[in-house]
Amino acid sequence: MNGVAISFREVTKSFDEKLVLDRVSLDVSPGEVLVLLGRSGCGKTTLLRLVNRLVDADAGEVYVGGREVADWDPVELRRGIGYAIQGVGLLPHLSVGDNVCLVPRLLGWDPERRRERAAEMLRLVGLDPREHGDRRPDQLSGGQRQRVGVARALAADPQALLMDEPFGAVDPIGRRSLQEEFRSLSRELGKTVLFVTHDVTEAFRLADRIAVVADGGIRQVGTPREISDAPADALVRGLIEGAA
Amino acid sequence: MSFLEFLAGRWTEILGLTLEHVVLVVISTVAGVLIAVPLGLAITRLPALGRPVLGFAGVIQTVPSLALFGLLIPLPFIGGIGSRTAIIALVLYALLPILRNTVTGVRQVDPAILDAANGMGMTDWQRLTLVEVPLALPSIFSGIRIATVVGVGLVTIAAAVGAGGLGSLIFRGLAMLDSRLLFAGAIPSAILALLADGGLAMLEARLVASRGAPTS
Repeated sequence: MNGVAISFREVTKSFDEKLVLDRVSLDVSPGEVLVLLGRSGCGKTTLLRLVNRLVDADAGEVYVGGREVADWDPVELRRGIGYAIQGVGLLPHLSVGDNVCLVPRLLGWDPERRRERAAEMLRLVGLDPREHGDRRPDQLSGGQRQRVGVARALAADPQALLMDEPFGAVDPIGRRSLQEEFRSLSRELGKTVLFVTHDVTEAFRLADRIAVVADGGIRQVGTPREISDAPADALVRGLIEGAA
Repeated sequence: MSFLEFLAGRWTEILGLTLEHVVLVVISTVAGVLIAVPLGLAITRLPALGRPVLGFAGVIQTVPSLALFGLLIPLPFIGGIGSRTAIIALVLYALLPILRNTVTGVRQVDPAILDAANGMGMTDWQRLTLVEVPLALPSIFSGIRIATVVGVGLVTIAAAVGAGGLGSLIFRGLAMLDSRLLFAGAIPSAILALLADGGLAMLEARLVASRGAPTS
């Protein structure tokens, strides 16, 4: 299934009088992996959370698949969009398989179909359902938990994925292999992915396009090559050279 | 006559009072759970409730138990002499530990888990039943354990308002200056408290083990 387009139109958001996003516009094409790259506190996570309405904009509009998110029931909207975060947030009292199939469970799938789907998703992210499916999350390594987080985000076959530093808590070697696998997986599935990171290498490794976010605005949008060849300003140059 | 012979002569009475004691503890703790757990969960949804409700439960804890039993006696309908008055006081005492542990248990759920739960599209009710209550269960359970053990001790004092239980032996022993009667009430109630604590601790450990660690 192909992904949906996500668009931001002149989006503004403040928290406690502090302006976090200032009239931000951005278009994410169907099926592309767009990485929001920026330092912590730049507003990139807020931008991501606007899409599934964990945050509502003060002004401006956000569209998913051409429909404004404000028109959706937040619960219904979120069930149609995969969500993976740095802390993973697996439920420690459920098995790995039950964690993977939480959204299908919320959607009312029957247990048999959920079990099959969980096995399929675990294989997709490189875990063995027979070996790992019945374990508790705390019996897995950090990298395996992150994989489960990705499997969970994909389980209900969403058309878009929101990922907020999903590989942040893994050691560098594990992170590299997760990134490479995720890159080929996202190409294969063709879903629209909005991916937040502060890690420049991660951004360049995963992205079809990168949006550099700073001080509540987008400084530059382009392919990794475009950005490394022609940084739009000193800040963008500083960010990518800081990583080299 | 040795103390053991004294006990042997009265074992049916002691057994009966022990049973009465247990029944009073169970009734009041169960009632306390039925009131305090839903109330505690309500507080997590309506934080404005927290201060007055926890404040009320906290004030009750500061009232000495003998005084609370005494205060209830003259009240119409709920007061009077007997086990009913005692149960009302015991329930009031059970509220605070269970309430507080329910509220803390829910509040200490890992924010990443709540964020993931919201992001997956759980309704508030689903988040409560699928995530928060299961994860708060060990904490709620230890609140129940505290309430139970405290209840075993309080029931001995409830004998002062005619509730029965092992306390009646203690009060009789005090009145008659008979230390054997006093011990015949005090020792079984101490054993009861230890058993309740140990038994519930074991259950708690099993609960935690079967559900995985409370945080990931």
